[in-house]
Amino acid sequence: MEPTSTLVSIAFAHNELNYSEQAMGGTCSGVPHIVAAIGLVAALPFSAAEQDDRLHCATPPGISGGRLVSVSRFEPRTLNWVVASDMGSREVLQFLMADLIHINRDTQKPEPALARSWTVSADGRHWVLDLRRGLQFSDGHPFDADDVLFTFQVIFDERSHSPQRDLLTLEGKPIAVRKLGQYRVAFDLPVARAVADRLFDRVYILPRHKLEAACKAGRIAAAWSLSTPPSEIAGLGPFRLKSYTAGQQTTLERNPHYWKIDAAGRVLPYLDEVTFVVGGSEDNQVLRFQNGESDVINRVSAKDYAVLEAGQSRRGYELRDLGASMEVAVLVFNLSDLPASTSPELRLHQSFLRHKSLRQAISAAIDRAAIVRLVYRGRATALAGPVPPGNHEWLNTRLPSPVRSLDRARQLLTADGFQFRNGQLFDRAGKPVEFSILVSNSTPERQQVATMIQDDLKPLGIRVNLVPMDFPSIGERLTRTRQFEAAMAGFATPDADPNPDLAIYLSSGGNHLWNPSQKSPASPWEAEIDDLMRRQQVELKYGERKRLFDRVQEIMAQNLPMIPLVSPNILVGAKRNLGNFRPSLLEPHTLWNLDQLYWRSPGAGGR
Amino acid sequence: MTRRVRIAAGVLFALHAVVLLAGFFAPYDYDEQHRDYPYAPPTRVRMFDPQGRFHLRPFVYGSVQKLPSGEYREDHSRIYPVRFFPDGRLFGVADPGVLFLCGTDGFGRDVFSRVLYGGRISILSGLLATLIALTLGTIAGTLAGFYGGWMDRVLMRTGELFLALPWLYLLLGIRAMLPLHIQPGQAFALVVVVIGTMGWVRPARLIRGMTLTARESAYVLAARGFGASSVYVIRRHILPMTWSVILTQATILIPQFIRAEVTLSFLGLGIAEPMPSWGNMLAEARQYFAIVSHSWMLAPGFALIPLLLGYLVLADSLLAAGASDANQDS
Amino acid sequence: MKYALRRLLHGVVLLVGISMASFVFADLAPGDYFSALEQDGRVSRELIGGLRSEAGLDRPLPVRYAAWLASVVRGNFGYSLAYRTAAGPLIRERIGGTLLLTGTATICAWLLAIPLGIYHARRRGSWQDHALKLAAAILLATPELLLAIVLLVLAVQTGWLPAGGMHSTGWESLSAVERFRDTLRHLVLPVAVLLLGMLPVLQRHVRAAIAETLDAPFVLAARAQGIPQRRLLFRHVLPAAINPLISLFGFSLGSLLSASLLVEVLVGWPGLGPLFLDAVIARDFAIVLGVVLISAATLIVGNLVADLLLYRADPRIRIR
Repeated sequence: MEPTSTLVSIAFAHNELNYSEQAMGGTCSGVPHIVAAIGLVAALPFSAAEQDDRLHCATPPGISGGRLVSVSRFEPRTLNWVVASDMGSREVLQFLMADLIHINRDTQKPEPALARSWTVSADGRHWVLDLRRGLQFSDGHPFDADDVLFTFQVIFDERSHSPQRDLLTLEGKPIAVRKLGQYRVAFDLPVARAVADRLFDRVYILPRHKLEAACKAGRIAAAWSLSTPPSEIAGLGPFRLKSYTAGQQTTLERNPHYWKIDAAGRVLPYLDEVTFVVGGSEDNQVLRFQNGESDVINRVSAKDYAVLEAGQSRRGYELRDLGASMEVAVLVFNLSDLPASTSPELRLHQSFLRHKSLRQAISAAIDRAAIVRLVYRGRATALAGPVPPGNHEWLNTRLPSPVRSLDRARQLLTADGFQFRNGQLFDRAGKPVEFSILVSNSTPERQQVATMIQDDLKPLGIRVNLVPMDFPSIGERLTRTRQFEAAMAGFATPDADPNPDLAIYLSSGGNHLWNPSQKSPASPWEAEIDDLMRRQQVELKYGERKRLFDRVQEIMAQNLPMIPLVSPNILVGAKRNLGNFRPSLLEPHTLWNLDQLYWRSPGAGGR
Repeated sequence: MTRRVRIAAGVLFALHAVVLLAGFFAPYDYDEQHRDYPYAPPTRVRMFDPQGRFHLRPFVYGSVQKLPSGEYREDHSRIYPVRFFPDGRLFGVADPGVLFLCGTDGFGRDVFSRVLYGGRISILSGLLATLIALTLGTIAGTLAGFYGGWMDRVLMRTGELFLALPWLYLLLGIRAMLPLHIQPGQAFALVVVVIGTMGWVRPARLIRGMTLTARESAYVLAARGFGASSVYVIRRHILPMTWSVILTQATILIPQFIRAEVTLSFLGLGIAEPMPSWGNMLAEARQYFAIVSHSWMLAPGFALIPLLLGYLVLADSLLAAGASDANQDS
Repeated sequence: MKYALRRLLHGVVLLVGISMASFVFADLAPGDYFSALEQDGRVSRELIGGLRSEAGLDRPLPVRYAAWLASVVRGNFGYSLAYRTAAGPLIRERIGGTLLLTGTATICAWLLAIPLGIYHARRRGSWQDHALKLAAAILLATPELLLAIVLLVLAVQTGWLPAGGMHSTGWESLSAVERFRDTLRHLVLPVAVLLLGMLPVLQRHVRAAIAETLDAPFVLAARAQGIPQRRLLFRHVLPAAINPLISLFGFSLGSLLSASLLVEVLVGWPGLGPLFLDAVIARDFAIVLGVVLISAATLIVGNLVADLLLYRADPRIRIR
């Protein structure tokens, strides 16, 4: 138990924890520390203390009632958050459950959720979270620290094979959890980690009373499948499951025990029901939104946006272009050592791409402005480095912006011994330069970008072969067999901070696509990146971290193991009548504040 | 041959010829990108200028794109006459004029030219697959019908197996397995060979039927009477009788396989960029925004339908002729 | 009876053969269900290895096949990696949706094809004949998927029909009559697409069969005897022409589960189509195999029914 003085001093040393300042801007903020302390010390009746423990939202209050319909491309496959890895399931689950610390999608800063306050030790390794008291799950069962412990036990259980496990494992060691009291939990990190509170975002707390039996029997992975009756599912989210119809829709209803209240003291959420309808294809999504059958649309492509834009005023919805996203599209090269069974052609093509000059020439020859104009109708940004422009806090603005220059490309190539003859490029040994780019079948925009790159490289005399393939086959080649030369890939950082992307930048990382899981860095620049990333991981001051990460971006831009292309904008839409609609650049873009959305004219929305 | 059949044959011949000679009939290359004219509507070819005078030589106006709406308007101050036989092609306009008879796609590539070049892939895949299916089907059907017995049973059961297999899964697997340096044309040819191989069953059944009948005919009995070998009998007597069935089947299968190419392209198994085929052009055109805003991209459909119609009319007439032959025989 | 049993036995052998071939196909393609997860670099190799062993994906092919076969016998049809539950119930849930669609389309197609074919056959050589032939040929030549999306766009632009799905949201709160009407509205579009695909083929065959029979001598004789046209058609011509139609009907029956797969995906209809296609893309093999098997079984049963009906209906056929 830490003494109160230490609590206060440490809490305010770390500026991310200064949540009392976040009471502005219509965000949900935790009740300031001091008031809570006074409230507990004074002999208040139990119900008042319980009311104080709920989260007060400063958003303008809305009107209760109505139903929201959203059409999604994928259907949920399970209701078990621990094992869910597909988008359809996660889309529904995030409204059934709640986390301890939540990143506010508007401000991009962590806020108290189920944990009303927390403290950190000086070395950043020990966190003590104070949970809200008197909260109940959607079935009325009380919530306490045992549920938190149980959740982490399930995540780290070998038998569950949960993908969440690796997100909470630092340097190969899991985060340890200890119970300090009925409403107090301690987390011990194996190594110090900057902004570790962001780790808790979307780590949802499970009900021990519902799942303990399954966990003990080793069947936790099979628990809460889609055929589970709704009464068996309990969570702390704003909604609870009402019904699921296979292949058609999932309906959620208001959770009467939700722990957030608005400024007028009304319990959130405002909406009575939310229905997620399975649309099947993006065209279907667009059609149903235009038809008025759905109320929000999440991430349309630029071309569909243009179609929807035309009917905005007539059809009663509005579209928003939120600007640059957190997503990057890149062309990644295979720079790893190839297995013995690789064909000679692949080895030859890889040998071309190992020349830094060729990679730089390719990057100089790509017409990013045309890609933005043609594929994304201007609703994207050309990239100079691997960090998307939507990430204002971490973008290295000093990187030179990418301008297409065939002259510079030719200079780079001739300086490195490449020759042009009869409109074809040859390497020093006289072999014609050509290579293949893998593209996934399921992303038409990436295929279009690849076609433009193919055309861009023709003046350089480089022949590019586009190979479309289904997604799992590409995954197999990229991660296991390493049988590829170049591939179109993309990253979407769920969080602005560089820490979740460690697997990309570290040479030992699994997502270090050009040469993953190295035992030791294969090149001096990769060794330098390793060092820089490790240092920023433990550094607690933002300014210093930014400096280190800026240098990482520079090195990436010089060596180009993957060529950054463009970052598409986030394009969303919703009916005009929807109140409190404040879409965000972070996922989930439109519905992150679902508990605060409401219909302005009562009876509108909901059929 | 009736007049209708002659019209159909003529249309088919013309379409095939134009497609084969796409390099001559198309004003642009199939992969030539005009990045200043994405999704341009079809260029209007005119004979009357703004003053109302008639020009013997047709001409087009310059085209300018209004941004950011993306719409195009004609610039009447620039006139480009249509030239005939410019460097190896039938017609075209001088730079910087553009002549997009069916508009352009998202990269500014001329849809009309791509329809012509794309017809090669679609028609060729139909022909190749039909050739394979008919060859295999004839062999299987003749053997099954002629020898009967266990060979017949084995072949027919194997046929049922082929009909029910999940060919989509097989194709995805094959496509993913191919080495990367294989050209798009070769990869697609392999896909076509596979679907042709899958399609031997129906023709085999029909030919088996014909062979069964032919086996009992007077000629064959006589030939066997004077000691002719099986191979001789098959070659000299059975095959000619099945010839009409084979031909009819060809006119039915070719459109079927051309449609299969369209479906394959919809599922992502078509030929890779930048090669056009009617299938992959239609796959791009069938997206909602394309149908609503750029409907000229459905042009391949308008080439596809007359082609298939022509084959159907041919098939009909051959069937009718075959039926009347059969009636005459009996 | 013995014949039927023998055919059913053949069918079972065939199904086993199909399942074995499909297993081999699945192994051809590199990657498996977890390859997609591997691309998320934050998930460790050990975890994915653990998931793979738990799913038994690292066992040799014959072992996996035997395990799957055992699961089929129990009625589970294997384990879906995506849904983490038995594949059988998932498929069973959605069969109803597909059958509703294809069943309605098939019934409508047959109900329309027979009178159309008869009408067509009786007016051979007239301009109606040519017009109908042209219309049918154009429909035959149009790719079904293109037709579907064009109709869908029309539906949305005019607002007459819903843009997909089987029920509107809030269907549960409607009365029985309203529910029926709502489902009907949603059925119109996909049924129309399927109908337009099936009708030309059926109508052509009906027309051909009836036309051929109308030429036969016995019809001429019956007409000479003064039998009225309607009775002639239904009591004399139709039964004689029924032979090829029965085979066709068997084929219609047999493709009840597979005809609408792609249309369902386009329109968002909750049947086997989206389930199957998603499973193919994600490499969720149990579902793929389950759907393939059920479709093949329907095909076999359809052919069997057709052959049995043929035996009963046409006295000219005798099975050797």
